[in-house]
Amino acid sequence: MGAAPTSPIREPLVQGHKTYHQITEDLCSPTERAPGKAWTLAFIVALMAATWGIVSIIITIWVGIGTWRLNRTIGWGWDITNFVWWIGIGHAGTLISAILLLFRQKWRTGVNRAAEAMTIFAVICAALFPAIHVGRIWVVFFFFPYPNTRGPVWPNFNSPLLWDVFAISTYFTVSLLFWYTGLVPDFATVRDRAKGFRKKMYTFLSFGWTGSAKHWQRHESLSLVLAGLATPLVLSVHTIVSFDFATSVIPGWHTTIFPPYFVAGAIFSGFAMVQTLMVITRKVLNLQNYITIGHIESMNKVILVTGTIVGVAYLTELFIAWYSGYVYEQFAFFNRALGPYWWSYFGMMTCNVLSPQLFWSKKIRRNVTMTFFMSIFVNIGMWFERFVIIATTLARDYLPSSWSFYVPSIVEIGIYVGTIGIFFVFYLVFVRVAPVVAIAEIKHILKSSGDQYVITNGQTTLHQIEQGGTALQVAGHGDSHGNAHH
Amino acid sequence: MMLVGIFSLVATYIGDDHFHTRFWSNVLHNSVFFTGVALMALFLLAAKITAWSGWHTIFKRVWEAYSLFLVVGLVLIMIIALGIWGGWHHLYHWADIKSVESDVILTGKSSFLNKNWYTFGSLLFVGLWVFFAIRIRQLSVDEDINGDSNFTHARKMRVLGAAALPVIGFTSAALIWQWVMSVDAHWYSTLFAWYASASMMVTMIALTIITLIMLKVRGYFPLVNIEHLHDLGKYMFAFSIFWTYLWFSQYMLIWYANIPEETIYFNTRLHQYPVLFYLNIGLNFVLPFLVLLRNDTKRKYGTLLFISCVLVFSHWLDFFLMLKPGIIHTAHELAAAAGEAGHHTAGATPGFTLPGFLEIGTFIGFLGLFFFVVFNRLEKASLVPSRDPYLMESVSHHT
Amino acid sequence: MKHGEKNILFGLYDDEEDLKKAVVQANQDHLDIMDVLTPFPVHGLDPLLGLAESRLHIAGFVFGLTGTLTAFLGMTWIFTRDWPNIFGGKPYWPILSFVPISFELTVLFASIGMVVTFYIVNGQGPGIKNPVIHPRITDDKFCIAFNTDHLGDAQVSKLRNFFQQTGASLVETKTI
Repeated sequence: MGAAPTSPIREPLVQGHKTYHQITEDLCSPTERAPGKAWTLAFIVALMAATWGIVSIIITIWVGIGTWRLNRTIGWGWDITNFVWWIGIGHAGTLISAILLLFRQKWRTGVNRAAEAMTIFAVICAALFPAIHVGRIWVVFFFFPYPNTRGPVWPNFNSPLLWDVFAISTYFTVSLLFWYTGLVPDFATVRDRAKGFRKKMYTFLSFGWTGSAKHWQRHESLSLVLAGLATPLVLSVHTIVSFDFATSVIPGWHTTIFPPYFVAGAIFSGFAMVQTLMVITRKVLNLQNYITIGHIESMNKVILVTGTIVGVAYLTELFIAWYSGYVYEQFAFFNRALGPYWWSYFGMMTCNVLSPQLFWSKKIRRNVTMTFFMSIFVNIGMWFERFVIIATTLARDYLPSSWSFYVPSIVEIGIYVGTIGIFFVFYLVFVRVAPVVAIAEIKHILKSSGDQYVITNGQTTLHQIEQGGTALQVAGHGDSHGNAHH
Repeated sequence: MMLVGIFSLVATYIGDDHFHTRFWSNVLHNSVFFTGVALMALFLLAAKITAWSGWHTIFKRVWEAYSLFLVVGLVLIMIIALGIWGGWHHLYHWADIKSVESDVILTGKSSFLNKNWYTFGSLLFVGLWVFFAIRIRQLSVDEDINGDSNFTHARKMRVLGAAALPVIGFTSAALIWQWVMSVDAHWYSTLFAWYASASMMVTMIALTIITLIMLKVRGYFPLVNIEHLHDLGKYMFAFSIFWTYLWFSQYMLIWYANIPEETIYFNTRLHQYPVLFYLNIGLNFVLPFLVLLRNDTKRKYGTLLFISCVLVFSHWLDFFLMLKPGIIHTAHELAAAAGEAGHHTAGATPGFTLPGFLEIGTFIGFLGLFFFVVFNRLEKASLVPSRDPYLMESVSHHT
Repeated sequence: MKHGEKNILFGLYDDEEDLKKAVVQANQDHLDIMDVLTPFPVHGLDPLLGLAESRLHIAGFVFGLTGTLTAFLGMTWIFTRDWPNIFGGKPYWPILSFVPISFELTVLFASIGMVVTFYIVNGQGPGIKNPVIHPRITDDKFCIAFNTDHLGDAQVSKLRNFFQQTGASLVETKTI
C-alpha cells in the first residue's frame, strides 16, 4: 500500500525537493543557532513592552481598579475588550490543528505547531484580564468551587462568568496537552542531535520518546481523539464568552446569534494573528519551503470566508434590530453606527468586512506584503468589534441621565501593550526552543505532498485519470438506468 | 409515493376548515423543507469545490441532482406566494391587511413582511440558487466529455462555487425569515436562520446516505464504499451536534433572559406541544449522539440507514414544530375576528398538535416527488464524473 | 551488563517502503521482532506487525463520563442540598445552566485522563530516559530491532542475513 494518490490539481505543500534528513536539518537548525540580530532586537522590544505591562498590573493591584477610567455606567472597558480579543486570537491554533485535522486539510501541517503555541500564549494573556479586573486578585481562587469554611459558600453555577472560568481553564489545559503531546516526538529529534546541556534539557522535555511503532499508533489515536474533543471545546469557549453578554437583557447584547457569531469572529481574528506571525517567522527562519505561498493563500481564504460570515452576522443583527420593532434594540444599533463611538463601528466594518473582500483577488491572496498588512487590519478590526459591543453599548443605557463616555487611562493602555509584549516574549522564546513546524507531520505528508512527488504525478495525470475514469465507468455501469418507481 | 401524497393532499383539502389552513400549512411545510434540502446540497457542493475537497467526488452527482430540485422548489414556493396574492390561504399573520393596520409591530415590519417582498424576494433569490445549481451541473457534466489537462472546468467551477457561498449565506437567511420565522410574525431570533439551515443540512446528509445505500443495493456506485459512508456518517454526527449547539444556544439564551416577548415562542411549544418538543431533542440529538459516537456504528450500512431515516423524519418534525404553532395561532385569531370563535377552541387540533396520517402522507408524497426529480436528473448523466481531477483521490479514499 | 539490560541487533532502513517489505519478510521467516522504530507514524505498518487497535479512546470515554457525572451531580448536590438559593428567578435545579460546565469537565477529564494514560502505558514521562538505539531514528532512518539475549550464533547470523537481504543500510549490535 503506497501513499494515497493526490489529485494533480493540488499545489505541493513541501517545496525544494526535500528528503527526510533535510527536513530535520531545516526545522531543527533554528533551535541550534545563536539568535540573530532581528530576533534579539524583537526580544528586547517585547521585553520592554512586557515590563510596562507588568508595572501597570502592579499599579492596578496596589492602588486598585480606580486607576482605570471605568465608571458607574461603563463597568467594562478595555479590560474585557482585551480579554475577548485575546481569547478570540487563541482560537485559531486549536482550530487549525483540530478541525483541519478532522477535515483532512493537509496544509495544516505547515502551520499548526506555531498556531497552537500562539493559542497557549494568547490564552495566558486573556486569562490575566478577568483575574486582575476583579480587583482583589489575592482572593481570585474564590472562583473555583471547593468545600470551604466560608459558610460553605459556593460560586453561582447560574452565572456565565463562572462558566467562563471553567471554559478557559479547560481550554488552556487541553490546548497545552495537545500541543505538548505533538511536540514530544520533535523534541526527541532535537535531543538526538544535541550535545551537553541542550542534550539534558531535551532529554527531559522529550519524555523518553523512542519512536516505537506501538507508541506511534497510540500517539495517532490520542491526537485524533484530542482533536475530536478540542473541536467542540473550541466552539464552546467563545460560545460561553458570548453568553457573558447574551444572557443579559441589555439591547445589543441579548441576541441569539451571538454564540456562532463570536466563534466565527474568533476564528477570523485568530487566523489573522497566525498570518501575522507566520509571514514574519517563515522569512526570518527561512521556512518558505514549508510555509509556502499556498499555505498563506489557504489561510487568506479562511479569513475571507470567516470575514464574510461575520459580515452576515453584523447585517443580521442590524436587520433584526429593525425587524424586532423594539425601540431600545433599534436605538442600540443606531447608537453604534452614529453615536459618540461611531468611529469604532466604522473601523470594525471597514477592517472586518470590507477589507477582507480584497482577498477575492488571487493576486492579493498570494502577495505576502499585502497579506501582512491585511492581517494587521483584521486584528485591529476585531479589537474594535469587541470595543463596539462592550463600551459603546454600555455608554448609552436605558436611562439617558446615566449616559457616559469613557477613555482609557495610561494604566489600561499599559496593560494592553504589556500583554502584547508578554505574548511576543513567549513566542520568541518558543521559536528558539522548539521546532516551529511539526517535523514528524511534515515527513508524514512528504510523499503525498512534496513537490518532487507531485510533479512526477502531474506529467501523467490526465491520461491516468481518463484511464481510471473509463475503467470505473465500465465497472460501475456508467450509464445509470435510474430508478423512479417510488 | 407521489400518489399517496396527492391523495393525502386532496383529502386534507376536502376535510379542512374553510381557510384550508391544514392543507396549505402542509404544502408550505414540505415545500420549504425539501427546497431547503436542495439548497443545502448546493451549499455543501459549493463549499467542497471551494475547499479543494476530493473525497466526495465519486458521488458528487447525487448532490448535483439534489441541488437541481431547486427548480421544483421555486415552483412550489411560487404557488404559496400566489396564494398570498389570491387570498387562498392565511398562513401569515402579516398578510392580513386588517391585522397589520391595527398592530403597531406588524405595521413596523410591513416594509419587509409584505407580499411583494415575499414573491419577488423568493423569485430573485431562489432564481439565483437555481442559476448556480444549473451552471455547476453543466460544467460538471461537460467536464466528462471536454475535460482537459488544464482542468479548465475545475477552475471555472471554483469561481462559481466561491461566488455561490456568500450569495447563499446572505439570501438564505432572508428567505428563511420570510418563509418560516414570519409565521410567528411578532417573534424574532437572530439565530433562527442558521438554526433552520442546520436542520436542513442534517436532513440533506441523511438523505444522501439513504440514496447511496439504496443505489448501492441495486448495484450502482460499486466504488462508493464504507469509507465514504463513514465520512458521511461523521458529517451526520457533526451536524447533529452542531444543530444541538444552535438549539441550545437559542433556547438557553431566551430562557435565561426571560423576556416575555421572546419566551412566548418556546412557552407555546413546551406547554402545548410537549411530545414534539421532547421528541425533537431526543431524536435529533440524543439518538444520533449515542449511536454515532462509536466508530463501528458509522461503518455499518444497516445502522446508518436506520439513523438516516429517523433523522430525515425527525428534522421534518422540527420544521413542523417551527411552523404549525404560529400558523394555527394566526388561523385562530383570524377566525375569531371573523366571528367563529366557537369553532376553534384550545386543545388538540388534528394536523397541528401532532402530525396525523394526512401530514405523513403529504410528506411521503413530497419525498416521492423529490426522489423522482433526483433520479430523473441522475439518469441524465454518468454517475461517475470520469474526468474530475479529484476522482482518483476519491476512489482510493481511506481513513 | 547491568541488571535489566538486554542485547539487541538492529538494522536501519532508508525508506519506509523498504521497512514494510522487511517486516513482511520477517513475518514470513517467523522472526520475532522486538520493536520497530520510525521517525514518523508509517501507515500500513500496524497490521503487518499485528498490533491490535489502540484502546485509548475507550479510556477517554470512561474518563469523559466521569467528568460529566462529577460536574452534573456535584452541581446538583450543591444547588439542591448543600446550598439552595434562588438566583435571578431561576429554579433550584437549573439543568440548562449546568450544561456548559458539565461539558467542559467532560472534555477536561477525558483529555487529562487520556494523556496521563498514554504516557503511563508508553513508559514515558518527564525525566524518564529510555535508551536511544540510534540517533538517526528520530531523523530519517527506519529501524527493526531484535532481542538477541537468548539466541545462539546461528540464529544471530540468520538475522544478519535477513538484514542484508532486505537492504538495511546499517546493521549493529548494542546493549540497552
